[in-house]
Amino acid sequence: MAVDESDRNYEHPLYSMPGLSVAATSVDKLLTWGATNSLWVFAMATSCCGIELMATAASRVDADRMGTIIRGTPRQCDVMVVAGTITVKMAPRVLKLWEQMPEPKWCIAMGSCAISGDFYRDIYSVIPGIDTAIPVDVYIPGCPPNPEQLMAGLIRLQEKVRAVRGGEWAPKDERPETEAMQKTAPSIPRLLSAERSPDVTLAQLLGAGNLGLGGALNRAADAPPLAAPQETSDAITTQAPTETSEGAVESPSEDEHADA
Amino acid sequence: MPTPEEFRALLEDDFGVSEWSEKQPPLIEAVDHHRLAEVLKERGYTLYVFVVASHRPGVEGAEDALTAAGYIELATGLRSPTENSQLAIWRVRVGLDEQLATLVDLFAGADWQEREQFDLVGVRFAGHPDPRRLMLPEDWEGHPLRRDYAINTPHPPWR
Repeated sequence: MAVDESDRNYEHPLYSMPGLSVAATSVDKLLTWGATNSLWVFAMATSCCGIELMATAASRVDADRMGTIIRGTPRQCDVMVVAGTITVKMAPRVLKLWEQMPEPKWCIAMGSCAISGDFYRDIYSVIPGIDTAIPVDVYIPGCPPNPEQLMAGLIRLQEKVRAVRGGEWAPKDERPETEAMQKTAPSIPRLLSAERSPDVTLAQLLGAGNLGLGGALNRAADAPPLAAPQETSDAITTQAPTETSEGAVESPSEDEHADA
Repeated sequence: MPTPEEFRALLEDDFGVSEWSEKQPPLIEAVDHHRLAEVLKERGYTLYVFVVASHRPGVEGAEDALTAAGYIELATGLRSPTENSQLAIWRVRVGLDEQLATLVDLFAGADWQEREQFDLVGVRFAGHPDPRRLMLPEDWEGHPLRRDYAINTPHPPWR
């Protein structure tokens, strides 16, 4: 998909003034230092990987020493660590929490369930890897990975953040893929793969009850328009009964997250 | 009353059970399901422990109509917490399109357990106060623990 970038202005007015670029670079370095050393983690822990995630925050490995603090609400966090098996019922909630996190945000898929679904990948209720729903920056293989591996993943994420903020191109993290995993490719194509239709992303965001930024991001240039604004709001209201019937159970926990 | 001998005597006298197996709990008629639970509750089995359902697919050429069409077999267990903690288990067989009387009016703890069996195996409990799915999303189609349910059934847009 070709994106028309001719009208984009990369020249910030500050950089045209003499001397200011030096100051801006210094300030930017300071901000990068701050951003890489305050990666607050939202622990999307659903199974045994969550135990290792807790151990990473404990005294032996001590992720706190590089500013990686685990927070209970997505609104204060920069990194979502998806630690564990994500089921079909959980996936809309994960996507909703992901959409509640402020930009810039990153995602770490911790453990083989979050990467591919592992040996649950063919089961009716398990989604085959979280990268079919939200974009993953760092994959940490293991079942479960030990705290040192998660720490290495966090350091790799720091390097990636440093590179991106410094204007370098950060290569996409290689998804560990074995022969057996290629044989059982998921029916839902992964994000950024060529086969993925933007309608899947839209359907997922609708399922999560969230038409945030993500709805427009993955659309091809020649794709038909989603809907007129009036119709879109109609679509949301007609969706509402199914969402509330499902959301009736989840809304208290959502409120807790918002209040925390 | 709760001793295994008295439980056996009750089933033989009042519920027409004649076949006994060492490996399987007694099988009673589905219409007697609620009455047996009521009688047992009066006699001290006041703790609802479990209900487990399993789907038996239809067998072609079987003489029994239920076996030919396929059925769901449920095992229910009650415990007597006061009298030496005896466990009473019985089985019932329900056709795939039949309903079974709920036990929620006797035991409040049966609520979610019966919802789980409805969700995964598809037993319809007549008179259940809240007959929704418990584990799977509400828009789910089918009951995954039935033998004819394909394990890798897709569920767009998530899997």
